[in-house]
Amino acid sequence: MNTLPPDTTAETSASVCIRLDDQPHTVVAGTTLAELVAALGHSEAAVATAVNTRFVARGQRATYAMQTDDQVLLFQAIVGG
Amino acid sequence: MPIQTPSSTPMRDDAWRVGDVTLTSRFLLGTARYPSPQVLGQAIAASGSQVLTVGIKRMMTPDDSEFVPTVRKALIDTGARLLPNTAGCYSAREAVELAQMARELYGTPWIKLEVLGDPQTLQPDSFETQIAAEQLVRDGFVVFPYCTDDLISCRRLLDAGCPLLMPWGAPIGSGQGLVNPFALRILRERLPDATLIVDAGLGTPSHAVRAMEMGFDAVLVNSAVAGARDPVTMARAFQWAVQAGRSGWRAGAIKPRDYAQASTPASADPLRLNPKP
Repeated sequence: MNTLPPDTTAETSASVCIRLDDQPHTVVAGTTLAELVAALGHSEAAVATAVNTRFVARGQRATYAMQTDDQVLLFQAIVGG
Repeated sequence: MPIQTPSSTPMRDDAWRVGDVTLTSRFLLGTARYPSPQVLGQAIAASGSQVLTVGIKRMMTPDDSEFVPTVRKALIDTGARLLPNTAGCYSAREAVELAQMARELYGTPWIKLEVLGDPQTLQPDSFETQIAAEQLVRDGFVVFPYCTDDLISCRRLLDAGCPLLMPWGAPIGSGQGLVNPFALRILRERLPDATLIVDAGLGTPSHAVRAMEMGFDAVLVNSAVAGARDPVTMARAFQWAVQAGRSGWRAGAIKPRDYAQASTPASADPLRLNPKP
């Protein structure tokens, strides 16, 4: 019998489904924004963050726990005119 | 067109200031769309610019990753300052959020405020720009607003606390130069004490000369340098152009006349001899 691969975006009681850069993403319940940034391999100073289109300052990331359906955006420095 | 000339020579070294920062170069350079990080670095050096514009973007792709270190190195090598922008914003709220992120990423309160109103012309939205400027000034930013040449909206931005204005010369990246010199001249004349930087639309060094001869305080150029066949030489050409135009303005140009005026003080009839008495 064929089996479907596990749905990595499915939320359980121990996990929270968010959208990261407009893609579905699952984190362990209680994960903070600072922990998410670190888990993605970014140094804390290399990115700026917004949740639900609002800026979240670097100093506030450690106290912000991901909520279901949060829209998380990461921003980086680029060249510009 | 009459050229506005200074009534007195400005500061001896011709430096200019943004808040407590003194600058001697009047050529602000954008850092986007260069063919390689190496060319960008060389163009920055050739430009002599002390203010480099940068941006921020969502991390969907890792592009530009090699360019930003080049800009950071240039800051160390030249002592230039960064001017992050809010490019791509179409509302005041977006721009304010982006500005907050830019301040955190770059560690500067300077922000080039761009709030656009039309995707084809990239014309600034004067109303949203005003709302964003007021908020950002309250939040402690030093706001460089990209704006049109409309006198009244420019006055409002100054009233909001912007230390300078960045009126467009032409649509961004169009290379058309100063498409509305009348409005720019009026702006310069009506806001004689404001720091005015022509931003956007310049295509050739002669455009920069013209802006500076009109009495504008500086120019910001990106596409005309980055898109040139030889960006490094073009950066140097713009630097010279800005200096030439500024010197021309400081020197006080002659008024244009309709008819000739001989320059050599020769006699009217050089070969006619006076008859002997």
